[in-house]
Amino acid sequence: MLQVTINGQPHKFVDGLTINEALRQIGVEIPTLCHDDRVDPYGSCRTCAVEVKGVGALVTACNTQLREGMEIQTHSPTVEGVRKTLFGLLAADYPAEAVAQFPDKQFHRYLKQYGVKAGGSRTAPAPDVPFMQDASHPYINVDMSQCVTCYRCVRICEEVQGQFVWKAWNRGDTTRILPVRGETMLDGGCVSCGACVDTCPSGALEDITVLARGVPTEWTKTICSYCGTGCEVNVGTRDGQITTIRPSDGPSNHGHTCVKGRYAFDYVYAEERITSPMIRRNGQWEDVSWDEVIKYISTKLAETIKQHGPDSIGVLSSARGTNEENFVAQKFARVVLGNNNIDCCARVCHSPTAAAMKMTLGTGAATNSLDEIELARTILVCGANPTDGHPVTGARIKQAARHGAKLIIVDPRVIELNEFATLHLQLHAGTNVVLFNAMGAAIVEEGLVDEEFVRTRLTEYEEYRKFIRDFSPEKVEKICGVPAAKIREAARIYATSKPSLSVHGLGMTEHIQGTEGIMALVNLALLTGNIGKPGTGINPLRGQNNVQGAPHMGCEPKLLAGYVPIEEARAQFESAWHVPLPTHKGLNMIDMLDAATKGKMKAMWAIGYDIVMTNPNTHETRRAMEQIDLVIVQDLFLNATAREFGDVFLPAASSFEKDGTFMNGERRIQRVRGAAKPQGLARSDWEIVCQVAKAMGKGEHFAYRSAEEIWNEVRSLWPEGQGISYARLDKEGGLQWPCFEENSPGTPILHVDHFTHGKTTALRRIEFVPPPQILSAEFPFLLTTGRNLYQYNAATQTSRTPNNGLHPTDYLQISPVDATRLGLADGETVRLRSTQGTAELPVQISDHVKPGEVYTTFHSVRVFLNQITTSQRDRYTQTPEYKVTAVNIAKLATPPVVV
Amino acid sequence: MPAPAQRRIIFQHIDEPGYTNDLACYVKHGGYEIMKKAFQRPPAELVDEVKKSGLRGRGGAGFPCGVKWGLLDKKSGKPIYLVVNADESEPGTFKDRYIMHQDPHQLIEGIMITCFANNVKQAYIYIRGEFPHGARILEKAIAEARAANFCGPNVLGSSYGCEIYVHRGAGAYICGEETGLIESLEGKRPYPRIKPPYFPAVLGLYQCPTIVNNVETLCHVKHIAAMGGAEFAKIGTPNNTGTRILCVSGHVQKPGYYEFEVGKITMGELLNDVCGGPLPGRKFKAVIPGGSSAKVLKFGERFKGKRKVGAEMVDYDWAVEDVPMDFDCLGMIGTMGGSGGVIVMDDSVNMVEALANINAFYAHESCGQCTPCREGSLWMKKISSRMVHGAARPEDGQLLKSVADQIAGRTICAFGEACAWPTQSYVAKFGDEFKGYADAKKTAKPGGVTDLI
Ligand SMILES: Cc1cc2nc3c(=O)[nH]c(=O)nc-3n(C[C@H](O)[C@H](O)[C@H](O)COP(=O)(O)O)c2cc1C
Ligand code: SF4
Ligand code: SF4
Ligand code: SF4
Ligand code: FES
Repeated sequence: MLQVTINGQPHKFVDGLTINEALRQIGVEIPTLCHDDRVDPYGSCRTCAVEVKGVGALVTACNTQLREGMEIQTHSPTVEGVRKTLFGLLAADYPAEAVAQFPDKQFHRYLKQYGVKAGGSRTAPAPDVPFMQDASHPYINVDMSQCVTCYRCVRICEEVQGQFVWKAWNRGDTTRILPVRGETMLDGGCVSCGACVDTCPSGALEDITVLARGVPTEWTKTICSYCGTGCEVNVGTRDGQITTIRPSDGPSNHGHTCVKGRYAFDYVYAEERITSPMIRRNGQWEDVSWDEVIKYISTKLAETIKQHGPDSIGVLSSARGTNEENFVAQKFARVVLGNNNIDCCARVCHSPTAAAMKMTLGTGAATNSLDEIELARTILVCGANPTDGHPVTGARIKQAARHGAKLIIVDPRVIELNEFATLHLQLHAGTNVVLFNAMGAAIVEEGLVDEEFVRTRLTEYEEYRKFIRDFSPEKVEKICGVPAAKIREAARIYATSKPSLSVHGLGMTEHIQGTEGIMALVNLALLTGNIGKPGTGINPLRGQNNVQGAPHMGCEPKLLAGYVPIEEARAQFESAWHVPLPTHKGLNMIDMLDAATKGKMKAMWAIGYDIVMTNPNTHETRRAMEQIDLVIVQDLFLNATAREFGDVFLPAASSFEKDGTFMNGERRIQRVRGAAKPQGLARSDWEIVCQVAKAMGKGEHFAYRSAEEIWNEVRSLWPEGQGISYARLDKEGGLQWPCFEENSPGTPILHVDHFTHGKTTALRRIEFVPPPQILSAEFPFLLTTGRNLYQYNAATQTSRTPNNGLHPTDYLQISPVDATRLGLADGETVRLRSTQGTAELPVQISDHVKPGEVYTTFHSVRVFLNQITTSQRDRYTQTPEYKVTAVNIAKLATPPVVV
Repeated sequence: MPAPAQRRIIFQHIDEPGYTNDLACYVKHGGYEIMKKAFQRPPAELVDEVKKSGLRGRGGAGFPCGVKWGLLDKKSGKPIYLVVNADESEPGTFKDRYIMHQDPHQLIEGIMITCFANNVKQAYIYIRGEFPHGARILEKAIAEARAANFCGPNVLGSSYGCEIYVHRGAGAYICGEETGLIESLEGKRPYPRIKPPYFPAVLGLYQCPTIVNNVETLCHVKHIAAMGGAEFAKIGTPNNTGTRILCVSGHVQKPGYYEFEVGKITMGELLNDVCGGPLPGRKFKAVIPGGSSAKVLKFGERFKGKRKVGAEMVDYDWAVEDVPMDFDCLGMIGTMGGSGGVIVMDDSVNMVEALANINAFYAHESCGQCTPCREGSLWMKKISSRMVHGAARPEDGQLLKSVADQIAGRTICAFGEACAWPTQSYVAKFGDEFKGYADAKKTAKPGGVTDLI
């Protein structure tokens, strides 16, 4: 403890604080114009100057360490005088209109506090070296006549986002903050994360929505509705309308967001949003009342059960819904319909991860936490493009690499993180198992295994050792396309520069060997002891905000809430619910469509899931959907499924309009809070489902009055979530399960001294199953798919925001070699053809893809890419193999007609 | 009493007819012999000699060189770098350039002895961007020295290796500030670093311990190694040892560079006896003794006080002409020896216009990082430039002073002082002229002010 005197009063502080941090602890406020906790102290504005006895010059509080015995004056006439002068200098030419318009801006508050008047005006002539004005960005307005040169934008863009967009140009009296290249922020490489706007103390950088709709009058803390990072945000509203979203200092994002979470919210107010229940009669959609629609559905469903049995109905729930909503949906299937035909979108992404990790480690979820990215000395990024798919996590990985962590990229394509990578293992798509086995072989051969860990925690090592010999890098380099030396180097780094942490994405799972690929990766972590320790582990980057939660709540035909097999928990659930649970094997989403094709699926209720747009091989999907008599779509928009096959449409509330919880990719339960009222007649998913249940005579099982009541039921059935109450979430913020008791802090790291299923686990011997030889003279190119920063999956949300302007269409990335061969120029349109169908889209020539391979994002409805992806599936979980399709590319004579 | 004669140590051969800047000539004049001897001694001994010599830095601050070396963090296990500050951009200063142009091997020998003494294996000469000729000369000299094993992988056939690199500066005054220089050398904008914690001796170039010394300072090291620290300390005056080069510019008959024992010559002797006095028909009005940042002295003002001479305290009562040209005496009278640039102004100069010129320079050269300096220098420039463009107000002098007073002591680097001191001293000493300017609604002659920068 340090003894310090502040303004004459003695205080005690722990060691290691800056003066400013100490002052904050005791509630003494000083101006800190250039300071932001998210970036390193900088000490340039000098407004935080304080007097320290015995030190001649003034001391800046933000970047000076507190020391024993300091005697500090924070508001002496001298320092107050300095501050007043500094603000006076800064305000002398500052536009007075800005101060009047936004009195709450940090700089404007200081001016008021020090009685300083802004001396400039927006109509004043521009100086010789003009200030940047830029209104070209869809979200951010730049007016540097208000810049107070605090460098916060420059530093946050560099130190948090890792984008280096802003830079100080010139010097002295003509110092100007400008993009590092070009004229606009976007020219400078801006990825629209909004961090610079959020930190700007003056309004030089401002959200366009704030300029247009005014400063928010109310703030609601909630969780972002996009990816599985689970960023905590503050939603600002004015007159009930969202005007801005700002990052909050949440446990998974620490005050940062990406463009989607920060800006892409206007889909809530999109014109096409449907806010009334509808029934399609004679091909026409008709608005109806809730009473009518509920009666209609309940009658139809009851009839279907009567005529065709309970197994003729399927329910699909959504990874975008809350845990509570998903829990209610699966309970509906099991209790009201009496079947296990319940699934969710996890089927098309990380089911293989969950399955593989459940088998090998005992828990099908991330072993470690996002905060450990900063602790890892090696980071393995496999089949993921975090800077686009999980931008906040991507930014953290980038920063970790900038601070010295070794980054190994495993991807057929060059991704943005490559710029910061130590190694890129550019394998042939679909050969993950070979590559990881080869790394395993190298680790074994070169004696890099963690002997202690192998001895105490692993079994079947000997078998593995013998098995893996055949995968020696030199033997398999041709198969996976990565030179043996590189494989060995990667193995050495991963095994020796510890702790090593792995993150992976859908490039790992969406393959016929998706589940096995993950197991091969898990082997590496086990062999090297990179599990159960800080900065290690296997960490899937979960795609959607609640894709971890939805199946975990039981939206899985084989599993009940808590991710337990039905037979294991049957008794517990039956006694809690007072009903027998169905005994029939349930159908997953893929099975349901297969059943539909065979005419066995009569009704389908799709909650927040666009089957037609999302599933691969659209033609087959359509054939299946055509066979279903009753298609109920519950969504914000009339999606492709509703347009083409819908009979009933139920308007759902967006995640800004309801309460509940999400579970992010690091097993963290976080509170979702309604910031605005649902538009029109929209209702939250759980309310709708409960009403239908009631109409079908099962009201007593669905008598919830709030999301919290549902959650409490979940907790009572799921021991690992028992300790996570709403009261705690509201007070402490998100908590990571397992959390058995109310006083448990949660579990950031799994498998510390035993695995979930026991002390030891076995190394799996994963054989390689070559992908079917799909390339042929007719289809000579391998197509892989992924997502882009600005769009999100089927783009139902993002395409209804200005994000569309930032990524208007999907492109086909093609290598320069192939482009030359096919005589293609950048931007020309091609027709892609697979055995399943065709799609037309413009090409983008890029050395990010290898010759023979092409890549595209899958967001744009116009391009409708899934028309051509195939129906290969993961051998274990039936997750579709989106990632590799054989295609043929033909140049189009005339551009296609855009619908 | 006649003025003392120059004592040329650094400039021994400079301007000597037939003395060329190639290795052969240098060796012919005994070059690298001192280094050879120095390399026979334990490095720590050499550091001790420099400590004993009392050598003070010639770059501006006059910090004792041996003390600086003693602060090096040798325990960190990181490499130690030497950075030679050859950015020479303080207005009125032009000594390092001549050393590099005419006697580059003297600098290299000084560098090598310094490196050997401090176990440095890489040295960088950061030469001012506007000195392309000097950079070429240095490159050539280093190549010659390297070929002769005076630097490079096996210096003098030993296992000790040390490379010297020339890095051309980025063309800004602030690149001369040692931490700004280091940032620039790392390829960044020369934003000075915050001290603490970024003292070069601990967290310097690439966050490694680093010595930053001025060109002239390092040349002195060679002579200290030659004669021993104790002997060197006998040159000059106590605490102001050795010789130093004074660069005289402005309104004197014979401007130029002169080398004297520190403190052995007074301002009056320098300007009148050595430099031939004022131009015909003019009178000295003001002098800046140590580069444009130093506070101005006004002819006619007097300085009184007590100072230590030997063991005794004695009274002094000096006119400007009586002030000995050393670090301590100039400090005592409120200015500084700085970079050794003596700028002389006679009665043809209007002080408001002179300050407007200086202020324009500083507003242009502030790195722009910290508020008081960036905004303060801008406003000082705005005010003084308004004054000389026909819109002076009587209170402008005070206004200027009030801005300057809020800069000094409040900034990240010493540029804050450098830009505040001129204004503070001009207004304090020539206040009437500032008032007079307003009364007369004077306007500077066209081209008289802004063209000067
Ligand atoms: C604004 C500013 C500019 C400076 N410019 C120079 C310069 O051009 N050359 C120089 O040697 N030192 C310059 N210095 C001084 C250096 O920061 C540093 O003190 C010096 O290089 C140390 O060397 P020395 O101890 O040998 O004098 C400058 C200092 C400041 C504050
Ligand atoms: S929005 Fe983000 S990426 Fe763009 S300039 Fe600002 S901080 Fe950088
Ligand atoms: S734009 Fe804003 S954040 Fe950036 S330097 Fe200017 S005032 Fe600071
Ligand atoms: S005092 Fe001036 S030159 Fe020094 S860091 Fe601050 S702005 Fe830059
Ligand atoms: S907040 Fe400390 S210098 Fe700006």
